[in-house]
Amino acid sequence: MDFGQFLYMRHEIILSALALIVLIMEISSDKKSKANIIPVLVALFFINTVAGFLPVETGSLFGGMYKTTALIILMKNILNAGVLIVFIQSAGWLKSNFTGNDNIGGYFFIVISSLIGMDFMISAGNFLMFYIGLELATIPLAALVASEKLKERSAEAGVKLILSAALSSGILLYGLSLLYGTNGSLYFDNIASSFQNNSLQVLAFIFIFTGIAFKISIVPFHLWTADVYEGAPVNITSFLSVISKASAVFILIILLFTVFRGIEGIWNSVLYFTSVLTMTIGNLFAIRQKNIKRFLAFSSIAQAGFIPLGIIGGSALGFSSVVYFVLIYLFSNLGAFGVVAAITNKTGKESIDEYNGLYSTNKGLSLVMMLSLFSLAGIPPVAGFFGKFFLFTSAAKQGYYLLVFIALINATVSLYYYLLVVKAMFINKNDVPIETIKNDGYTKLGLIICTIGIIAIGFAGIIFDYINSLTFGIK
Amino acid sequence: MSSEGIILFFLVGLAMVGGGIIISTILAPSSKNAVKEETYECGIPTEGVSWVQFKVGYYLFAILFLIFDVETIFMVPWAVVMKEMGMAAFIEILIFLIIVITGLIYAWKKKALIWD
Repeated sequence: MDFGQFLYMRHEIILSALALIVLIMEISSDKKSKANIIPVLVALFFINTVAGFLPVETGSLFGGMYKTTALIILMKNILNAGVLIVFIQSAGWLKSNFTGNDNIGGYFFIVISSLIGMDFMISAGNFLMFYIGLELATIPLAALVASEKLKERSAEAGVKLILSAALSSGILLYGLSLLYGTNGSLYFDNIASSFQNNSLQVLAFIFIFTGIAFKISIVPFHLWTADVYEGAPVNITSFLSVISKASAVFILIILLFTVFRGIEGIWNSVLYFTSVLTMTIGNLFAIRQKNIKRFLAFSSIAQAGFIPLGIIGGSALGFSSVVYFVLIYLFSNLGAFGVVAAITNKTGKESIDEYNGLYSTNKGLSLVMMLSLFSLAGIPPVAGFFGKFFLFTSAAKQGYYLLVFIALINATVSLYYYLLVVKAMFINKNDVPIETIKNDGYTKLGLIICTIGIIAIGFAGIIFDYINSLTFGIK
Repeated sequence: MSSEGIILFFLVGLAMVGGGIIISTILAPSSKNAVKEETYECGIPTEGVSWVQFKVGYYLFAILFLIFDVETIFMVPWAVVMKEMGMAAFIEILIFLIIVITGLIYAWKKKALIWD
């Protein structure tokens, strides 16, 4: 047996080792040295993120159960980078909220477990592996959401998440059983090659799509999103809305482009309608929100509605524009959530009205928030514009002009409510604005990384070229 | 298979479940008495309602027990092929055991094993 081939799964192996290290640190540290876990873990995770980019061979393991390609490795690296930012941003929250004998190591352990699940899910070559990865990614999320033990809303959000996740898993499993019944195999390759396009398989596809759509919170499967996002601690919300969503998008696009290639016409129309619904409903509800976390929840639903524009038509350009869009969305949304986390954790203020006049007291935070919201809205100089631009281009190239038109209208509507928040921060007057917040080094570092990401990715054409070179030859 | 097949599939599924319930209510002989209404027909009579809060310790113990139960299931096939596979098998099971035992020490340290 050649042990060198285990290098294919080095992302998961390093993460597992990290998880063990956290547990051992948590066991061996006393009350005083507990705070040391944060810098050590951030440093180790930084090394892990960098190590992910090292070139290594790709291939498949365990008889096709597990496989990696250069593209899958890129996806894992994107997730790693996102989790690194989440870790940096949550340092302040951990210090203030997990005092004494509480479980700082446990937080890192649960996040890393969830990330391992996502990695296995993305590089699965078999539906069983995919399902185990999905569950490993989802179940820890409920524990994370309910991690502020003394707040009832946090516990309520945890219960809501686990119930809706259980329901969606059930639907997905039923789809898998139908697929197995019609094909006699759970391997992606076998299913793709023996797809007969009969209605039972279409039904299986719809069930599986439903299960994943729950995770991406595509309308009409979005109902849990706002409540869970609102109840969870802000840093967990950013993990949910960015990392969890990104991994589900990745696996959805992989499944559509490989396993369900045979029924492309059907998933095109499914994506068409869910995309229109998701964009429109997400936007219309976002306008009405008064709470900044609910607002960002609906904004992230609306953003998810743009992703099908790249998937639809099934082109390689669409694939790379989706990965690119997710990368930019990651930095923009983490920037916005970073600011909200900095404010909420220090002052407890969550209403958009309380953001009035923020610029007069917190210049840095308001500028980062403005940049992130501009990027989410897709205003030209920042990266968000390019992300949306490529999505629209790939949909237009496939001839979906009406869909692009609807998406453009929605982008304009979204501009309105993103600017409402910017207006509140910069123009609206407030007698008692939020007091000047002194941020610690971690929060600043996290926000600086997001800002650099938002500005730089748009101008570095090399990134899109790189992604494009990886997706070359798909189809 | 056409889409009529799917409809038929659902109808048959519905008929199987619904039919089973209906036929069993019609055919099965029923006798009602006080003992029949009990939660358990034999054994010690139950006391109180079951809608009370259970001590969370039960779940912790159950989970730990389950983990080491499953571990044994892994160990048995390993023990069978251990001689043929040699050192590689030994190292692999060692990694597995280290992970599981770290979890146990964690639970121990967090006082999950103390029953008070």
